[in-house]
Amino acid sequence: MNEERRRLLLQIGSAAVFLAIVAVAVLIVVSSNETDGGDTELEDVGLVERDLKGIPQGGLTLGEPGAKVTLYEFGDLQCPVCKGFSEEIIPDVIDSKVRNGEAKIEFRNYTIISEESIPAAAAAIAAGKQGQGWDFVELFYRNQGIEASGYVSDEFLTEIAKGAGVPDIARWNEDRKSAGVLRQVKAESEEAESLGLTGTPSFVVSGPATQGKKVLGTPGSAGALEEAIDDAN
Amino acid sequence: MSAPSEGTLQRVATFVAAFGIGVAAYIAIEAAGGDAPTCVAGGSGCQTVADSTYSHVLGVNIAVFGVVGYALLLITSLLRGDGARMAGFGIALVGFGYSVYLTYLELFKIDAICQWCVGSAVLMTVLFGLAAARMVGYAGKPA
Repeated sequence: MNEERRRLLLQIGSAAVFLAIVAVAVLIVVSSNETDGGDTELEDVGLVERDLKGIPQGGLTLGEPGAKVTLYEFGDLQCPVCKGFSEEIIPDVIDSKVRNGEAKIEFRNYTIISEESIPAAAAAIAAGKQGQGWDFVELFYRNQGIEASGYVSDEFLTEIAKGAGVPDIARWNEDRKSAGVLRQVKAESEEAESLGLTGTPSFVVSGPATQGKKVLGTPGSAGALEEAIDDAN
Repeated sequence: MSAPSEGTLQRVATFVAAFGIGVAAYIAIEAAGGDAPTCVAGGSGCQTVADSTYSHVLGVNIAVFGVVGYALLLITSLLRGDGARMAGFGIALVGFGYSVYLTYLELFKIDAICQWCVGSAVLMTVLFGLAAARMVGYAGKPA
């Protein structure tokens, strides 16, 4: 009797193990399909979150609003060199100068690559209206496609916005197509031209020691940008 | 070497489950305060994992489920008979399976490792091993 009962219990246990293996396999397959299903799997969502965590953001400005020095980055979201800067140089500047409140960085759209740069820029500004502008810009760069290849679709932009943590996607969708935001994209590019900038990324700094905005061009290292911030202070 | 007695398996399981309650409670308390558990080596993996969308199920932090799971395992480790053996095995199996899934998420989805979560996964694996040994060795036998 005990032997029979024992055999039954072990059979139930074995069945439970089998079910558990199936359940875990299903969970893993379902979750991997969640992002692998389309061509918009996002890279580095966690990394971007981590890099920007705890730093105030407003619009496309990153850092304490009262910081004395402002570093302006004129970039095109489709530009591969800007992507390189965003991955290799900007994080160091954020850590050394922005996190401590010495400077703030303002991203400005300079849409020079192709027509697709314009909806990308508008989407970034719209994300900025919900406090996730820099998350959007950084995540876009880390998932950038080949320039002017048509990858900047509504689906791609929506994936980036969701990955960047934009809370109200419906509002973001309205904002990014609004006349006001598109005017802002145009105005930012016109400002870049009026400053004499010829490519992206181009940097400009302003602070107590500069007479208005001082064009830096494209310094090749974090150290050079940090020095420019120190000089402007 | 003879197989450990059921009593020994139960005592070790009690100890490990109590330890697991401590780990899961620490993660849950830090999360409730809006923080992430401190990573021992000063890394930011715990922050990333705690901030990820996977840290909550139905609005509840998964560490809370962990506390409940370890508490139930502690109770089953103190009780005798086939009911406790089977319940302990079932709960540990669910906990172990879920830990495998969470470790997969950390490695391949969140791209960050939280030492506290890994610690909990190890404890849950040990508890599953103990519960399996208890069931295979003693199911159907008098308590």
